[in-house]
Amino acid sequence: MTATLSQKGPRRRYGEVNLGLALVIPVIVIMGGLVVFPLLSTIVDSFYRINLMRPGTPFTGLGNYADLLQDTSVRRSWVNTFYYVMMAVVLETLGGLAAALLLNKIKYGRRWLLAAVVLPWCLPPVVNAVVWLWIYNPSYGLLNGILQAAGLTSAPVVFFNDPKLALFLVTIVHVWRMMPLTAIILLAALQSIPEDLYQAAKLDGAGAFKSFRLITLPLIASGLAIALSQSTVFAFNLFDEAWILSGSSLDTRTVMIQVYMFAFQNMKFSLGMALSLMAMLASLLVSLVYVLKVYRETRFD
Amino acid sequence: MSSRSLKFISGKLGIVLAVVVLLVWSLGPIYWSVVTSLTSPTDLVSATPHFWPTHVTLEHYARLFGSTSMSQGNEVQSVWPQFSAALLNSLITSVVATVLTVVIAAFSAYAFVRLRFPGRDMIFVLVVATLAIPAYTVMIPLYRLMISLKLVDTYLGVSLIYVSAFLPLALWLMRSVYQAMPLSLEEAAWLDGASKVYTLVRIVMPLAAPGLIAAAIITFLNAWGQFLVPLVFSPTLATKPLTVLIPEFVGRNYVDYGLINAAGIVAIIPPVLVVLFLNRFLVSGLMAGATK
Repeated sequence: MTATLSQKGPRRRYGEVNLGLALVIPVIVIMGGLVVFPLLSTIVDSFYRINLMRPGTPFTGLGNYADLLQDTSVRRSWVNTFYYVMMAVVLETLGGLAAALLLNKIKYGRRWLLAAVVLPWCLPPVVNAVVWLWIYNPSYGLLNGILQAAGLTSAPVVFFNDPKLALFLVTIVHVWRMMPLTAIILLAALQSIPEDLYQAAKLDGAGAFKSFRLITLPLIASGLAIALSQSTVFAFNLFDEAWILSGSSLDTRTVMIQVYMFAFQNMKFSLGMALSLMAMLASLLVSLVYVLKVYRETRFD
Repeated sequence: MSSRSLKFISGKLGIVLAVVVLLVWSLGPIYWSVVTSLTSPTDLVSATPHFWPTHVTLEHYARLFGSTSMSQGNEVQSVWPQFSAALLNSLITSVVATVLTVVIAAFSAYAFVRLRFPGRDMIFVLVVATLAIPAYTVMIPLYRLMISLKLVDTYLGVSLIYVSAFLPLALWLMRSVYQAMPLSLEEAAWLDGASKVYTLVRIVMPLAAPGLIAAAIITFLNAWGQFLVPLVFSPTLATKPLTVLIPEFVGRNYVDYGLINAAGIVAIIPPVLVVLFLNRFLVSGLMAGATK
């Protein structure tokens, strides 16, 4: 087959190259112009001082990075972001795995349960945040209503007055939105496991927990790595939920909010660019660690 | 009752309980939002929360869709002019971005799978690698670029940014769809003298329709929900979408929760329709995008 095609000679090959390039050019133009070029200019500009409030754009070397390391609110936003990443990844993975196992187990109405599970991921994050803002409302919110009805609190709690609680409540909203993605990725992995493996394990006398540890976990490892790294990247870039729930408040401020404030509120462009690069590198590094670790620990020996 | 059937029943009960918990977790907040949007303002600020609307009212929706409306006996300004503009902006930017993304991905992914040309694999790897780069990283230079191109606050500018953000995933998805298709059909068409483009459009694409639908859905949902990009690139109602308008209803001193929940419910109608009618494509698309 390949022989007959290549016999058509150089003209045919030439046409294929032209067609291939023609079809790919829109991709090159859009991604080159709107992602690669801006990324390169982010790297270059992060070594200059670009501030719309001050004249000139002198070269400052690592000056922006040094400023960022000393800035206390930047440091706070890093601490917050790492908290979000840790909590979100743990909760999304545990919750997503539980949901995926459940979805994989039930036979009737799975389609509808799946639709309900996926729904939060499909909604605009802003709308989610607004809905939860109302649930968290100190005076008339649902959460206070439930807590009081259950007798857990006697008076309404102003949740966002407590910095630790505020962080946790923002995390919940993010987890609510992102858990479906983890669940679907893990469900796909679970469905690829052949049923007879479990039957064989049962015949060998393995209990449910043992066959989960020895069959399920190793075989969903690659799915788990993907789920972990996407949870990490999304949590690192958390913006919408924190911004809607408590704006620029330092208690819940993320690195991305700090970038936005540097660039579009204080007009310190190059400072924002340096910070966004650091955030990108950090999220790439953390995801890489997962992928390698999950790969190493669950590989068949 | 034997211990075995007892175990069976308790296992079934456990599953039912888990399903209920999962349903309440996933749908509870949305249910609460619907209830809120239908509850009268006086009931909203009563001491105990109402878990279902006791006096159903459409007045919050009337403020979104009416020219003027009545609230607690006073005639109030409706938000229809802003709301309708934002709704239209959301639809236009999301649809334009979706069409552009899917068309570009449908053709170029085919080139990446079936055609041989210099630099093919390198270009593909580079494009897909940008999936790991959050769109926010490049926002500041993008902003300066868009200003110099005079594309800030234009449909074209916002849609192009969406395309650049969502194209890699659509490409990845479409490539895995084309890769899974047998080559023999295409070869038969080529031997009959059909051109590559004709074969792609008339034979391959119809067979790849589920993948195309999945790519379209995922792109549309992402574009529809975008917040930070339009927050920066859509400063006025010329292109401002619902996601940016709705938080503006949160006033400094006073939040009209009935209005804001009603607006939120309108904004989630398209995603809800997608989940109700096209969930099969969405889920298989997300699975393919994640596992291949």
